[in-house]
Amino acid sequence: METQFDATAIATQLLYRESKYLDQRNWNGWLGLYADDATFWVPGWRNEDEPTDDPDQELSQIYHSSRRGLEERVMRVESGKSVTAMPLPRTTHFITNIVASSVEVATISVEANWMVQYFQPHRGERLVNFGDYELTLRRQGDDWLITHKRILLKNDLVPALLDFYML
Amino acid sequence: MTAHPDPRDFKALIDDRPDEGVFRVHRDVYLDQQLFELEMARVFEATWVFIGLTSEVEQPHDFITRNIGRQPVLITKDEQGEIRGFLNSCRHRGTLLCPRASGNKKFHACAYHGWTYSSSGAMVNLTDQQTGQYPEDFNQQNHDLVPIPRLESYRGFLFGSLSVQVPSLSDHLGGAKALIDLVADQAPDGLEFVSGGSRYTFDGNWKLQFENGLDAYHFASTHASFVDIVRQRPPRDVPEHIQQFSTDDHRIVAGTVSFDRGHAMSWSKGAPGQDPAGRPLPYDQQNFERVRDAVGEDRLSWMLRQRNLTIFPNLQIIDIQSLQVRTWEPLAADKTRMVSHCLAPKGESPEGRRFRIRQYEEFFNTGGLASSDDNVMYELSQAGLSATLAGTPQGFSRGMAAEPADSSSYSGLSLTAARKTANEAGLGFGDETGIHAGYREWLRLMEAGE
Repeated sequence: METQFDATAIATQLLYRESKYLDQRNWNGWLGLYADDATFWVPGWRNEDEPTDDPDQELSQIYHSSRRGLEERVMRVESGKSVTAMPLPRTTHFITNIVASSVEVATISVEANWMVQYFQPHRGERLVNFGDYELTLRRQGDDWLITHKRILLKNDLVPALLDFYML
Repeated sequence: MTAHPDPRDFKALIDDRPDEGVFRVHRDVYLDQQLFELEMARVFEATWVFIGLTSEVEQPHDFITRNIGRQPVLITKDEQGEIRGFLNSCRHRGTLLCPRASGNKKFHACAYHGWTYSSSGAMVNLTDQQTGQYPEDFNQQNHDLVPIPRLESYRGFLFGSLSVQVPSLSDHLGGAKALIDLVADQAPDGLEFVSGGSRYTFDGNWKLQFENGLDAYHFASTHASFVDIVRQRPPRDVPEHIQQFSTDDHRIVAGTVSFDRGHAMSWSKGAPGQDPAGRPLPYDQQNFERVRDAVGEDRLSWMLRQRNLTIFPNLQIIDIQSLQVRTWEPLAADKTRMVSHCLAPKGESPEGRRFRIRQYEEFFNTGGLASSDDNVMYELSQAGLSATLAGTPQGFSRGMAAEPADSSSYSGLSLTAARKTANEAGLGFGDETGIHAGYREWLRLMEAGE
């Protein structure tokens, strides 16, 4: 029982920290939560009911098989050359229904629900994305790092763009 | 041009005087909602419009639903294996008969009162007709689904027309068929959409997407951050069998081809990041060898060039670092719904498919690193075009003074009646004249509706 309690506390703290980094645009802090070999996956949808399930044979909205892909996204946002980030939307992440369990000593599996409210100043519009998360965390020294994050986006008819900070 | 010409004075909106070096499009063409309604009726509901792939309705009773202009349509494969198209509207009260995007159904029953149709559109059960006390006039009426007047396909690309007054699809596509062949011939066993196609919207006129798909000029500036990312990557591990297709010839050659009825293509070879080894086609070695044997070296070299093909008014096939089909459903003068698919040969090897998918996602997705920049640019264009007091934009003059290409530039493609340019000034050339063809067709269709 104690392992279960710890897992949920660890997962909650990590998810809250991630959302804070994203909302504060602390990109390096955010990248620091991911292991080098982390997968970052936003599935697509086959039809009205089923998300895509095999990233090698079906389309995803975003798929990176290592942290390198996330670093490139940060590079793009920081370059000042991508119009998608001129200006960046103001985001607020809401994370709930966190359920975590530890099946191995150094690994935690997490499920959670999420919502991001964002405001695009040039549109003058408030928008919202929502769905659920599945994560795998791995103990590395004193820290826990994300080795896998699957972000299911349930409102997949999005206006114009989608990026890591609004998921 | 006046600030706001009469929306029905279409010639005042498209100022086409090539002999004087003038081609201008009035801002109202993007802004005016009355004009939008007219172009839905006279363009989208009056000419051949791309619907999807025939492989989306492969098995008997497969169906898909789409919009042609403002009209919801249902496409089915019937019991006999024929592809049929209908307005997706129950004959009873007009309710949307099939609310799903795709599936397989032998019968389509309207959820409202249960009127039921077969996959060939025939009325099979008019609920409680015997006890309905219907007048004779009603019983005399045909209750089948209303068919789409024209439905034809070319090389697996399915088109429909809500007007009977169109030539055959083959005549409509004309010389552009040779360019569709360059896509279809990559798939000896046929083409399919990879599972998981996506939809998105942008707050802008559909013609901004039409223009962008033929616009090589924007690449270096709009996609500067993407180009930077690609440049900082270590060289990709290229499988040995593909290395022979890497080219040492880094001269950039680019051009446009345009046809009657609005179709056009811009192409290039030798551009950075567009090495044939970065293309999915060669990654499936077995399929690639089949294709190579079938098409020969000249046409193969065309397959491995960057090619952005527009089939007017609503299809773009983009063959760059992956193969994309994009189409659009205009929602209003300032709102467009896009549908994007990754196109692939059936039976592709798992390695080839994985490469194709990764290449597609990073470029074309709304969550990707390139098309998302375009989408935001369309919104900024729409917002800026509202400045009607700034006069008509200077947008489509680039390349107008270029000499026509000599015929050797297009050897390997049987292109006759087409305007062709080719230029070794490279991508910086970014000929805008391919866009003229679509606007000329737009003008022709708008005037034909008077």
